[in-house]
Amino acid sequence: MDETVAEYIRRTVLKMPRDEIKTMLQKWGFLSEAQLQTLNFHQIKDNISQEVVQLCEENSADIKQAAALDIIYNHIYQNKRMWSVYQMKKSGEELEYFDITDFKKKFKRRLRSALKNVTITFKEYEDNAIWIRVAWGTPYKKPNQYKPSYVVYHSQTPYVFISASVLKSNLPLLCQALIVASNYHDIREMELRSHSLNSLKDIVFKRYSQNFQTYTPKPLQGGNVEPENADTRIVQENRSEKERIHKLNQEVFGSGPQPKLEFAQYRLETMFKSDPKLDVLDKKEPFRCLVKFSSPHLLESLKSLAPAGMADAPLSPLLTCIPHKARNYFKIREKKGLYPESFVNP
Amino acid sequence: EKADPQKTAFLLRKAWTLYSVTPLYGFRRARLRDYARLLGAFIAAEKQKGLAVEVGVELDIKVALSSLAELRGSELDQAALLVQLSSRSRASSRNSEDKPVWLGWFCSVFGDDLSENVPEHFTCLPLFLSHGAESYTSLVGSWFQKTFDCCFRRLAISPLNLSWMVAMWAGCKLDRAASAVELLFSVPRLSQPLDISYAIHPEDAKALWDTVQKTPGEITQEEVDVFMDCLYAHFHRHFKIHLSAAKLVKVSTAVVSAHCDGIVKILHGQYLPGVLMLLTELAISQIQ
Repeated sequence: MDETVAEYIRRTVLKMPRDEIKTMLQKWGFLSEAQLQTLNFHQIKDNISQEVVQLCEENSADIKQAAALDIIYNHIYQNKRMWSVYQMKKSGEELEYFDITDFKKKFKRRLRSALKNVTITFKEYEDNAIWIRVAWGTPYKKPNQYKPSYVVYHSQTPYVFISASVLKSNLPLLCQALIVASNYHDIREMELRSHSLNSLKDIVFKRYSQNFQTYTPKPLQGGNVEPENADTRIVQENRSEKERIHKLNQEVFGSGPQPKLEFAQYRLETMFKSDPKLDVLDKKEPFRCLVKFSSPHLLESLKSLAPAGMADAPLSPLLTCIPHKARNYFKIREKKGLYPESFVNP
Repeated sequence: EKADPQKTAFLLRKAWTLYSVTPLYGFRRARLRDYARLLGAFIAAEKQKGLAVEVGVELDIKVALSSLAELRGSELDQAALLVQLSSRSRASSRNSEDKPVWLGWFCSVFGDDLSENVPEHFTCLPLFLSHGAESYTSLVGSWFQKTFDCCFRRLAISPLNLSWMVAMWAGCKLDRAASAVELLFSVPRLSQPLDISYAIHPEDAKALWDTVQKTPGEITQEEVDVFMDCLYAHFHRHFKIHLSAAKLVKVSTAVVSAHCDGIVKILHGQYLPGVLMLLTELAISQIQ
């Protein structure tokens, strides 16, 4: 077995949490059940990985199998990577039958015609997701297995999710290979990025609960309200405001769980406007700002701002449009003319 | 007094943790070498006791104390006091260079408010800045506290003072490309924490500040409030969020960046006296 393959397998196993190594190796299916039985999973990971490498040696593993193991790891730990979303465009309306073999053949052919040294691995999952792993080399160097790119493609959709390696120069080639293989004619990067691959899918496949305009009757007031003290009226007002905010939030965000995004970024190029009494800046050029919101769960966080008294309800459409516009990177310019208060997103 | 840029270059572009220090009793400038020796012995003894700083690494810590006359506001201020901890690995040769592992300095820049009212035998150096492992800071701090009967306290920077810093230095004229004026807010008490970074192009921030400040060379609380309100209003116009209700945690300008936990980074030597003067003031109000 090639030394570099052995080392790569060893390092891949080391990445795995100890109590998950067995399951991952089983999913991999390269080592027999009998071989797996011989492994002692109660020792330190260093030793476990050495034993795994030895077994792989017995089976003469090559880079193809090693790459397959890497896909399994990254599929389970997909949220460790940053994913970008790309949308492909078809020229016509033809509904073509998707042939996976044809796709793989065309993809490999396109990549290999441009770059001899690449490692390409495919794996299909039950949810119609095709995972592609590409390790990149140069005309003179073997592929770097430690910095591969990952592509996730759902063949029934025009969307591709890419977690590129640092070698950004390979991105155009990757995109080309994708459209050639899938019979599309163009591909563009969407302004949507996140660690949570499933949330990105939720957003572009519209799988999250959206804000349907439904009629919700206002709850009946009165009835069992005990007159407590002179402050009853104040309490009432606060309650109806809380209800108003809650209702607006429901309308905008829907009542189900939000897709999980970690950040949203806005490049503002709008004018600075202020109270003329303040006698401050009155420039004809934009007031340039960069605003970034970050949270472990951004949309849930934004949803809780108005109820917490931190924001007006309804919340700004700049924030609430994130899921249905399927983007979390924005460039905002002033809209001229009719509606000076509204913004345009080019 | 203009500080020699060479001598103060070491202060720039390092993250300093801030403390306020009460006046030192019985401190004598002439005894710096003695103090260095005593502090070195103290650190070695503490390490013997098992309060090891670095496990498994045999390090001898060398202490150097020096005065920096350039770092002060006026003649009324005490010269700054610098404490340097360096290590020489026992394994390496005798001629190997000492590696600096920790740096701390006491200073007072226009700290007359404090030094005016202090009795004899007390030395006022209310501001302490440290850079390096917390464990060393704690050792050095303990020694000074024991030896000079003083008290160290972490210097927190309130949102009010952070906004002063933005206002003071957003309008600075800088020769080379300045970095953005950035304000970092954290929104407390939400189900999921939210951080908001609000960065303004330095030219535009300066343009705004220039129209707010009415008298050059002078800044009033009102002007700082107007400046911040303008920024909050611009933000609210877009996002309908009340930034003023969020917690201002960190500010960055081309001159200095400061975190509410009392950590600053000074980026430009030209404005060093101004920054230190503000920090001295903050330290003094924490002491009093």
